[in-house]
Amino acid sequence: MIRVEDLEKHFGALYVLKGITLEVQKGEVLVIIGPSGSGKSTLLRCINLLIEPDSGRVFLDGNQVNRRDIRPEWVREQVGMVFQSFNLFAHLTALQNVTLGPTRVLGTDAATAQAEGRKLLARVGLADKWDAYPAQLSGGQQQRVAIARALAMNPKAMLFDEPTSALDPEYISEVLDVMAALARDGMTMIVVTHEMGFASSVAKRILFMDAGRIIEEGSPEEIFQRPKQDRTRMFVGKILR
Amino acid sequence: MATTVEVPTRTSGLRAHASKIAIRGAEMAVGTMLFILLLEAVLRFDALDPVLWNLYFPSFLDGIVLSLRYLGIILPLSAGIGFLVGWARISRLRVISWPLSVYVDFFRGVPPIIIVIFAAVLGPSLLPERFRSQDIGITIAALALALHSGAYQSEIFRAGFMSVPHGQLEAAQSLGMTQGRAMQHVVLPQALRLSIPPLANEFAVVIKDTSLLAIVGGFELFGSSFIFEQQILFSAGNQLSWIFVVWTAVALVYFVMTFSVTELLNALDRRYHVRGLEAISV
Repeated sequence: MIRVEDLEKHFGALYVLKGITLEVQKGEVLVIIGPSGSGKSTLLRCINLLIEPDSGRVFLDGNQVNRRDIRPEWVREQVGMVFQSFNLFAHLTALQNVTLGPTRVLGTDAATAQAEGRKLLARVGLADKWDAYPAQLSGGQQQRVAIARALAMNPKAMLFDEPTSALDPEYISEVLDVMAALARDGMTMIVVTHEMGFASSVAKRILFMDAGRIIEEGSPEEIFQRPKQDRTRMFVGKILR
Repeated sequence: MATTVEVPTRTSGLRAHASKIAIRGAEMAVGTMLFILLLEAVLRFDALDPVLWNLYFPSFLDGIVLSLRYLGIILPLSAGIGFLVGWARISRLRVISWPLSVYVDFFRGVPPIIIVIFAAVLGPSLLPERFRSQDIGITIAALALALHSGAYQSEIFRAGFMSVPHGQLEAAQSLGMTQGRAMQHVVLPQALRLSIPPLANEFAVVIKDTSLLAIVGGFELFGSSFIFEQQILFSAGNQLSWIFVVWTAVALVYFVMTFSVTELLNALDRRYHVRGLEAISV
């Protein structure tokens, strides 16, 4: 579904991604872990072309998409993204947040988009919050609306950039539950997270990144219980403590 | 599953706000009456002296009309300039943003009265002969005032744009919106909302700054009343107290103009207010 080959990215003198290659099958959940500054967020943004990679190739459904003749917007329509800081549109209600993409990008008519939007809000457990503004919602609720907003575009895959890192502890599980349900429904997902419980139960594969490189890749057991690389062992030791 | 869909609307329309404005206006009117009565008692003048008003009313009315005409040019023009310059200055292209920052610094740093004089005196000579009508200098001075206020307003709009977190643009783009669409549906609506309250403040200043046009012969309300005052001071049979009447009336009109415009913007602000818009900035 998504394949990345030899992806490199510099920000000025900063060498952020030093040749990343990975592949995610349809319906698979890939979790990426790694210390801050290791390039995880940049990698996600290169996959949906929010950031243009310097070199390397990004494939969606077998087609290279980081090409001159392909509009990045077309790629982003098909790959949903959920952010650490939610980024809900602050001037719009929950339902308006969810319907903005379909109505303005896909050209869905308002009534259809609203009916779909309400279904999606119900799916993330927020049917009754449709007319609340982001500021009136808790962090967990905002993040669930953000997931519904991304789903409204009917994406082929979803990228999650540390979706629970900005949440108070009591709201983390409600977001992870929604994501786990999404995974069960067969959504292709790449998730940057440090939630080991979620990673162990939902992900098939875990990928450890450090300093712009993939250091190690394996099943949750392999990465968490029997890491081969020293750096992985050190990092896992820290976050499992 | 529900088959009918409620369309979310704001039930509190402008009508509700209009009544609020009306009530505040009435309060202001009562307060002003009391103030004038107090002035009359202390300074011993008759605010409705028919002899004075027979003489003064034509200048008064002409002045108001001319003031409103200048404001009709200056307010929309300065807001348009401010918006475009503010928007352009957030662009990272130095070819655009550098000259504009020079413009802003210049017009903010020079007293408006000097800008008015320069515009009225030098402005016409920059125009081709056939455009040089008699009061073209005043028109150019009014345009210069719009540039002056536009410089201030550009900073208001620029701050509005910069207050919208980058994540909002990123989120819009990740839905497949182009930069333009994201600007239109996500960034602009928020930036404009954030700009309204400081804009009301700046408009209040501009309205009174139109009186500066008097110095180059733009006889709007202040100028026409000043000329009238000079005339009565040196004519026989006048009363000194007339001066109080004239300037009280002039001040009152400026007050009403300022109050109406700022209340209108406040109503807009309330109408489109979103709770917590300012608070969300990650």
